[in-house]
Amino acid sequence: MPPWSDFEPFIVSGLALGGVYALSGVGLVVLYRATGVLYLAFGAVGALGALTAWSLGQQGAPGWLTWLVCIAVAAAVTLGYGLIFGPALAKRDPLVKAVATIGLTLVLYGLMDLLWTTSGGEARSLTLPTDNGGFSVGQVQVNWTQVIGLAAGVVLTVGTGMFLRYTKVGTAMRAMANDREITATLGVPVRRVEAAAWLGCGVLAGIAGLLLADLVALDATTLTFLVISSLAAVLIARLRSITITFVAAIVVGLLHDLLTPITSLTNYRDMTPFVLAAVALLVMPRGQVMAQSREEA
Amino acid sequence: MRDTLVRASPSRARIRPSRPQLIRATTITILLLFTLFALPQLLSLYYIDTMTQVAIYSMVTLALGVLVGRVGLVSLGQVAVLAVGAWVAARLLFATTQPYPVILLEAGLITMVAGIAIGLPALRLRGLYLALITLMLAGAITVVLATLNFPNGGHGFTGYNGSLVHIPPIRRPSIAAADPAYFRYSVIVATLMFLLVLAHVKTKPGRAWAAIRQSEPAALAAGINTTLYKLWAFALASFITGVAGGVLAGAVHYLYSIGFPTQDSITLLAVTLMGGVYTMWGAVVAALLYQFLPALLNNWGVSADWLIILFGLGVLQVLTTAPAGLADQVPKDLARLGRRLRRSTSRSTP
Repeated sequence: MPPWSDFEPFIVSGLALGGVYALSGVGLVVLYRATGVLYLAFGAVGALGALTAWSLGQQGAPGWLTWLVCIAVAAAVTLGYGLIFGPALAKRDPLVKAVATIGLTLVLYGLMDLLWTTSGGEARSLTLPTDNGGFSVGQVQVNWTQVIGLAAGVVLTVGTGMFLRYTKVGTAMRAMANDREITATLGVPVRRVEAAAWLGCGVLAGIAGLLLADLVALDATTLTFLVISSLAAVLIARLRSITITFVAAIVVGLLHDLLTPITSLTNYRDMTPFVLAAVALLVMPRGQVMAQSREEA
Repeated sequence: MRDTLVRASPSRARIRPSRPQLIRATTITILLLFTLFALPQLLSLYYIDTMTQVAIYSMVTLALGVLVGRVGLVSLGQVAVLAVGAWVAARLLFATTQPYPVILLEAGLITMVAGIAIGLPALRLRGLYLALITLMLAGAITVVLATLNFPNGGHGFTGYNGSLVHIPPIRRPSIAAADPAYFRYSVIVATLMFLLVLAHVKTKPGRAWAAIRQSEPAALAAGINTTLYKLWAFALASFITGVAGGVLAGAVHYLYSIGFPTQDSITLLAVTLMGGVYTMWGAVVAALLYQFLPALLNNWGVSADWLIILFGLGVLQVLTTAPAGLADQVPKDLARLGRRLRRSTSRSTP
């Protein structure tokens, strides 16, 4: 076991990663509850936004513009998909809706690989100005991007919770999560509320893409499939509670990074989200699993 | 009725007259003989290797097709299962001098046991949750394999020796050492696997699966042991995929864990859905899409990324408009086109 001081820097990076996972997870849960779609293209749209931002940056566009473009691209693609395929698949099983978003993932992934070819071995990076500044806690250097990562997770989880609790659209979303048909008969413009959920999810995907491109890597494959890690947090929360999603995401991010200095386990650290999600799902009481599967079937 | 992944196609359970059945059997036999004897003569070595991959992956898509189309279980982790099969076969091929068919059988059986061990707890979940847990488990298996590495002739349990300079190739059966012979060998193994699935589909398990796919509570009420038959499907799919992994080990000679990324499982599901999950032809179409098209495009100098885009659009199209996939849609569309052409020619020449 390495000394405690070896773990300290990884607490910081783990919390930052966990924060971004949390913000992705919250986006996924909100969209799932409102529309029944588990948006597996979440990572891909974020990656598309981040790569577009990088290209604009290469052209000499100012930083703030590229970040806005990143979020706008992710939001536009997500909203567009939601408007076209949302109604077409509205009455189908959640599994069908989720697999359809795999279709979108592949389209975007192919497109990104084509436009920003990775075979050239050209390393790209998206650095935010917040990388440079920072402060130190004890002997650990903390940069502002890491702070933003965790803060974004906290703020967006709390913000989304308040939004769902207190606003009219948020209340409508919660109603739709319970029963779409009854909500529609009560006069809620179901399509418009769904569109709002798609847009919100897309914005979160853009923010997550931007932060992960900086914290992890700016690479289409990595960013596209990093969604699987936040998916683990969403699964632990059983696609329901944003609070549990937040906690699970922080645990996943923290545990993943804390395993890094332990030599015997460091190679296995990428398993963390999968193992945690598998255990959480498999120890779930049987009655609850069946009830939930039935409800969602 | 429960919505299955793709809308259930109209029932095919009608009694066929024996003549069309005979014609079908003859066509398949001729096609098989052509594949076995004429195709290796006609193709260059590049395409023979490609077609070997097609034969191997047709087993993988067949297994996934059984899960998705027959039982309604979606697995997002089949490439990890294939990797397990390949790992076991490679380890056994280095460690023993057993004949190749025995090794394939062992690889299939060990993969099957692993599939059951994973499947038993996972089957408590349904639908979306089951699909996601397979994705999670596949991710975990991929990480383990990346750390263990594939056997390269070293000693010990893992059979991996990082400091080996001359890595021996994974052996092939002595009767199929050359590429054309190994292609025939793969086709024969694949044919046996298709027959194995056919034997299941036409008998009691097939009927039980069909009942489960339509509605699990109804199947339960009809006295079907749903857990047993779902587990059976998992076991069969793992066995076939394990055998495919064994054939893959010999085909490529050297195995690396980067050859089995988790995202390939996702692409595999996409092509399987595109090919069609209700007929076994769909598995062949899917394998051609997955292995032959990339080789063709590579030969033409076109980026394979276009294919990924095509697969993505294909999934969306299958899920929204063409539930039975290409294997079902293309003959129908061709027939419709033929009818239209005939009508227009008969109109133009009165």
